[in-house]
Amino acid sequence: MRKMLAAVSRVLSGVAQKPASRVLVASRNFANDATFEIKKCDLHRLEEGPPVTTVLTREDGLKYYRMMQTVRRMELKADQLYKQKIIRGFCHLCDGQEACCVGLEAGINPTDHLITAYRAHGFTFTRGLSVREILAELTGRRGGCAKGKGGSMHMYAKNFYGGNGIVGAQVPLGAGIALACKYNGKDEVCLTLYGDGAANQGQIFEAYNMAALWKLPCIFICENNRYGMGTSVERAAASTDYYKRGDFIPGLRVDGMDILCVREATRFAAAYCRSGKGPILMELQTYRYHGHSMSDPGVSYRTREEIQEVRSKSDPIMLLKDRMVNSNLASVEELKEIDVEVRGANQWIKFKSIS
Amino acid sequence: MGPPLRPNQCRSRLGAPPSLPAVCGRVARNPGLQVGMAAFAATAGRLLGLRAAGTEGRLLRLRGAGLQWALLQPASATGDAAQRRQVAHFTFQPDPEPQEYGQTQKMNLFQAITSALDNSLAKDPTAVIFGEDVAFGGVFRCTVGLRDKYGKDRVFNTPLCEQGIVGFGIGIAVTGATAIAEIQFADYIFPAFDQIVNEAAKYRYRSGDLFNCGSLTIRAPWGCVGHGALYHSQSPEAFFAHCPGIKVVVPRSPFQAKGLLLSCIEDKNPCIFFEPKILYRAAVEQVPVEPYHIPLSQAEVIQEGSDVTLVAWGTQVHVMREVASMAQEKLGVSCEVIDLKTILPWDMDTVCKEECFLNLEAPISRVCGYDTPFPHIFEPFYIPDKWKCYDALRKMINY
Repeated sequence: MRKMLAAVSRVLSGVAQKPASRVLVASRNFANDATFEIKKCDLHRLEEGPPVTTVLTREDGLKYYRMMQTVRRMELKADQLYKQKIIRGFCHLCDGQEACCVGLEAGINPTDHLITAYRAHGFTFTRGLSVREILAELTGRRGGCAKGKGGSMHMYAKNFYGGNGIVGAQVPLGAGIALACKYNGKDEVCLTLYGDGAANQGQIFEAYNMAALWKLPCIFICENNRYGMGTSVERAAASTDYYKRGDFIPGLRVDGMDILCVREATRFAAAYCRSGKGPILMELQTYRYHGHSMSDPGVSYRTREEIQEVRSKSDPIMLLKDRMVNSNLASVEELKEIDVEVRGANQWIKFKSIS
Repeated sequence: MGPPLRPNQCRSRLGAPPSLPAVCGRVARNPGLQVGMAAFAATAGRLLGLRAAGTEGRLLRLRGAGLQWALLQPASATGDAAQRRQVAHFTFQPDPEPQEYGQTQKMNLFQAITSALDNSLAKDPTAVIFGEDVAFGGVFRCTVGLRDKYGKDRVFNTPLCEQGIVGFGIGIAVTGATAIAEIQFADYIFPAFDQIVNEAAKYRYRSGDLFNCGSLTIRAPWGCVGHGALYHSQSPEAFFAHCPGIKVVVPRSPFQAKGLLLSCIEDKNPCIFFEPKILYRAAVEQVPVEPYHIPLSQAEVIQEGSDVTLVAWGTQVHVMREVASMAQEKLGVSCEVIDLKTILPWDMDTVCKEECFLNLEAPISRVCGYDTPFPHIFEPFYIPDKWKCYDALRKMINY
C-alpha cells in the first residue's frame, strides 16, 4: 500500500526518477561507430551518386535520435495544443518526416542556408531554435521566434528563411539566396525545399532555369510525401519522377525515411554545388502521418492501413533505433531514457511562462 | 483525474445552455460517475463541435476526449480567452424570404453557391467547373455533388497552379464555352494576376471584339475568418478595382450570392466573384431553388436614412447594420446603409450624385484594416469592427 502511494505521488508530482538502468549503461561497452549499407539513389544526368555505405558514430547516432524524437514529440504536442485551441490558425505537422529535417541538417554546415514551405516546424528546430521559441510562436506569444506575428507557417532563424505560406513562392527566393552565396564566395550552399504539390508551380521552373544558367549553388529538394493536401501525386503530376523534373539539372531520388540515406545524399549534393558545377535536385521520398493540416483528418484520401504500414515498416525513428541497437551503438534502455527525457522535460508543462 | 468541478467552472468553460451546468454539478458531486462524466463530455463535445464547425471550417471537430481534458482543468485565463475569440465580430442578418422567385429552401452560403452552379451546369451544356480539389466537393463544400451529377468531364481538378488555372480558363472562354474557375483562397489569386489583368481584361478590346473571354467567371473564398492569418484572410478586391475589362462582385448573403453569381456567369465580361468565407456556414437564409438574377453594378440601399451614409460590401454590411442601429440608439442619428455588391464597375449614382461633394457636411471617412499584412494573433485588433466604425461615425457627426 505504501509502495503504491509512493508510486502515485511520484507520478503526480512529475518527478523524473533516475532509472536503475543508468548504472548498467555506463558499464557496457558500446562500439564507437558502425558501418551501414544504405539504399542506392536513382540518378538523373549523374554518372555517380552518393556512396552506398556510411559510417555512423555513436555520438552522432544519439544526437540524431534525440533530435528526431524531439521533433516528433514537439509535433504531437502541437497537435494536442491545437485541439485544445491553444494554438489557432493553421498548423501543418511533419511527424513522419523527421529524417528529412535532421538528415539534411546533418549533411550541411550551420553556415549554409535553408528555405522551405509551410511544414516547417522540424526545420526551425534543426536550424537552431529551441522548442520553447517554436511553441511560443505557434501560440502567438511575444517570446516566439517571429514575436508571435507569424504563427506556424512563418518561423525564421539564422540562415533559415522560413516558413512560407504561398506554395512554390519560396523557390525563386532560394535561387536568389544561392546567388548571394556564390557572390559572397564563402562556399555556402542554399537548400531550397518544396513539396510534391508545389512541383507543378510555374515559378519552380523559372528558378531551375536561372539556377542552371548562372550555375548557382542551389540544392532544390522536393519533399515528396505522396500527397499535395488531399491529392495523390498520380492525380496531380504528369511525371511523378520529381528528381527528373529539373530536366537539365542533375537529380537524385533518396529514401527520405532513412536518415543516413538523407545525410549521405545531402553531403553529396552539397559537395557537388560547392565545386561550382551548378544546381542539383534531390527528391526525398517521405511520408506524413498527420493530414495536410490540423483541419484534415488525413484519412479521406488515403487508407488507415497505408498509414499504419508506413509507421510499422518505415518509421524513421524506429529505423535508426533498430540500426543502433543491432550494431551495439546504443542499448534499448539508453534510447528509452532519451525518450523519457524528451517527453518529460519541463518545456512542455509550464506553458504560461512562455511569453 | 483532477479536482471535481464546481458548477460555475463548468459554465464558464462551456458557455453551455442552462440545463447542462446543472448536469455538470450533479456529476461532479459524485466522483465515482466516471462514465457519466465521459458521456456528458461527449455530448457537450458534439454540441460544441457543431458550433465550432460553424466558425472554424469543415473538418475541425472538438473531439470528446479533448474536451474531457479541458473540462478537468481549472478554468484559466487562457481558456476564457480562447472562448472569447470564438465570437465573430458581426451578426449575420438574413433578409426576409423572397416571394417573387418561387419556392425557397433554407440554405447557407456554400449551399447557395452549389445551387447556382447546379443551375448553371443544368442550363448551359458548355459550362465546366475546375480548380483545386473541386471534384470531391471543394474545401468549402461549394461543389458537392456536382461531379456525380454532371460527370468528370465537366467538374474536374487542376494541379496546384493558379496562373495555369486562370490562363486555361481564359482559353476555354475564348472558344465560347462557359468556364467557372475556382481559386482556392483569394490570397492565392496573385500568381494569376497577370492573366486576369493583362489577358482576360484586355482580350475583347485588343482583338477589336473578334474574340472575348466573357464567359469566364473566377470564384474565390474571400475575407477574414477569425483564424486565417496572413494567407487565408485577404480581401484583394482593391487590386482589381482599377482594371477596366473585368467585373468584381462581393455578395453579403446566400440569397444575394446565388443571384449575383448567376449574373456573373451569364455576364458577357470576365467576372471575379469573391465569397466571404466566414459566411459559408454562418449565413443561413431562404433562397429560391430556381435560378434568378440580381443585376450587377447596382448597389442596394438596405436601410434608409437621412444623416449619414454607410457603404460596405460582403461581411462588413452586417457590421454596418449594427453600427446603424447603435447610432440610432445612442446618438439619435439616422443612417443609410448601402451594400455596394459590385466593386467594379461600381454604382456611382446610388452612392453619390455628381454634385454631392458640395453638399457633404464632413469629409468621407474610410474604416478598414491597418496598413500591415493581415495579422495572425492580432486579428481582433486589426479588423474594422463595429466600435471602430461607430467611432468614425461619431467623429463625423461632431465634425
